[in-house]
Amino acid sequence: MTPLLLLPQHGLGGAQDLPVSRELAILGAAAAVAVSFVVLALAWRTGRYDAATSGRPAPHWLAGLVDSTAWRAALRAVGLVSLLYLVLVALAGKDLLTNPIFGIFYVWIWVGMVPASLVFGRVWRAISPWRLVNTGLARITGASPDDGLYAYPRRLGMWPGALGLFAFVWIELVDPHNVELGHLTFWCAGYLVAMVVGGALFGNVFYARADPFEVYSSLVARASVWGRRDGVLVVRSPLANLDSSPTDPGLLAVVAVLFGSTAFDAFRESTRWLTFIQGDGAPIVLQNTLGLVGFCAGVGAIFWVASVATGIGPGQSRRLLPGTFAHALVPIIIGYIVAHYLSYLVEVGTFTLIEASDPLGRGSDVLGTGGLTVPYWLSYHPTFLAECKVAAVVTGHVVGVVAAHERAIKVLPKRHQLTGQLPLLAAMIAFTVGGLYLLFST
Amino acid sequence: MARLLSTAVLLVLVALTTAGCGGDGPSSGPQSTKVIDVTVSGRSTTPSGQTIDVGVGQRIELRVTADAPGEIHVHSSPAEQEFQYGKGTSTIEVEPIQAPGRVTVESHTLGKTLFILQAR
Repeated sequence: MTPLLLLPQHGLGGAQDLPVSRELAILGAAAAVAVSFVVLALAWRTGRYDAATSGRPAPHWLAGLVDSTAWRAALRAVGLVSLLYLVLVALAGKDLLTNPIFGIFYVWIWVGMVPASLVFGRVWRAISPWRLVNTGLARITGASPDDGLYAYPRRLGMWPGALGLFAFVWIELVDPHNVELGHLTFWCAGYLVAMVVGGALFGNVFYARADPFEVYSSLVARASVWGRRDGVLVVRSPLANLDSSPTDPGLLAVVAVLFGSTAFDAFRESTRWLTFIQGDGAPIVLQNTLGLVGFCAGVGAIFWVASVATGIGPGQSRRLLPGTFAHALVPIIIGYIVAHYLSYLVEVGTFTLIEASDPLGRGSDVLGTGGLTVPYWLSYHPTFLAECKVAAVVTGHVVGVVAAHERAIKVLPKRHQLTGQLPLLAAMIAFTVGGLYLLFST
Repeated sequence: MARLLSTAVLLVLVALTTAGCGGDGPSSGPQSTKVIDVTVSGRSTTPSGQTIDVGVGQRIELRVTADAPGEIHVHSSPAEQEFQYGKGTSTIEVEPIQAPGRVTVESHTLGKTLFILQAR
């Protein structure tokens, strides 16, 4: 491997690379979201998606393949080998930035899982080593892996998943020691213990709601074309698939953490915030933690208020509305992940593939990828990158508005269907403006 | 068939050239050394979180004036660069950045971001 000195960790594509001024781009994006609502109000007057009928069955060979025991076992093996590899580099690798564990953890798993889940569906669920461990332990004791010692409390819903996701974004965005091997290994050890114990207590149902990576991956997979109807693999339009997703308590918390943390990632590098927290005030870690909590809570609060601020029908509960509409934030999250991390995924992701070929830092090339070169095409074309960012954010918001509109038609009484959506539309426009402003503020 | 093929090749060539022209390619030719003044006094630093533009491959020199010895880290990939400086004024030569992007430079002693280098 040739030593590459001083490569940047983040790509370009900022406000100065936009072909138009930042203000004009933001105005245009907000207008696109507003116009799409008007078009929907005129042209989309009845509900279009029904989870019980939408989608057509996948081709027989495909359904046969993905439902076969061999296929499932192969994916579990991939998960197990990957886990063993990570344990090896965590315990025997060097405590240097060249240790591939950092790139695998922060880039491949965290960012790469979004495109993977969007294309292939519930990826983490398929390779999750925890489900394998849980199944193995259950077999030994003669129990069913789906049931644990206790029934999973329904009221908890996805709140544990939201907590786990927050723990991840905290180490990623706030912890100043996040690229020290000891810190990362400690975090992973805590995660491992929580997953193994949780599975033993509550069975496989625990992972769908409490494993942060599975929660994240399965959430993004709702915007893929792959769905299940009565256990049968179906191909659906992403919008119909998104609409079919169940609503668990805590879903809004999950999307608020994902969305808020991405926004905070853009904000924390701005000169204004850096200058502010580096004054003589409170410790920087504390201020960054409060900033991260503030962004997540802020997103959640704005969405909560906007979705309950509507007229409702008799016998309808206002408190259930935020969870009912929360899935509309999923495409928005995907849009921001693309906008923030596209060049990061391509560049640092490839770099990680080079590093991964030398797991212990001994100059080996076990994967044969040590000689790859990092494609810096995106960073050399910052205007294209900046345009991609705006396009991803606008697309995410427009799809979010469509998803919310479809849901409003289904759950709100006829006379509140349009007016009831106005606060949500205002929130979406505020998110678009705020998100793009932050994206182009550094 | 040959005609189709040659048209396709031509189109690809056009696309590649325009893509090459459209971007701001790697800056070539000699560039003067970028000198960045850094002052560390007690717990406060100048600069403190600003973004500084440099060229890809441009030589970078830090002129550090400090009231106590300390350490500066340049958070580049794959290897961080670490520099120690003493009390008074010292000069630090930073390796040029090899590709466009953003690199954080922090005072390791204070745990604060000094500035972010933006290479283009």
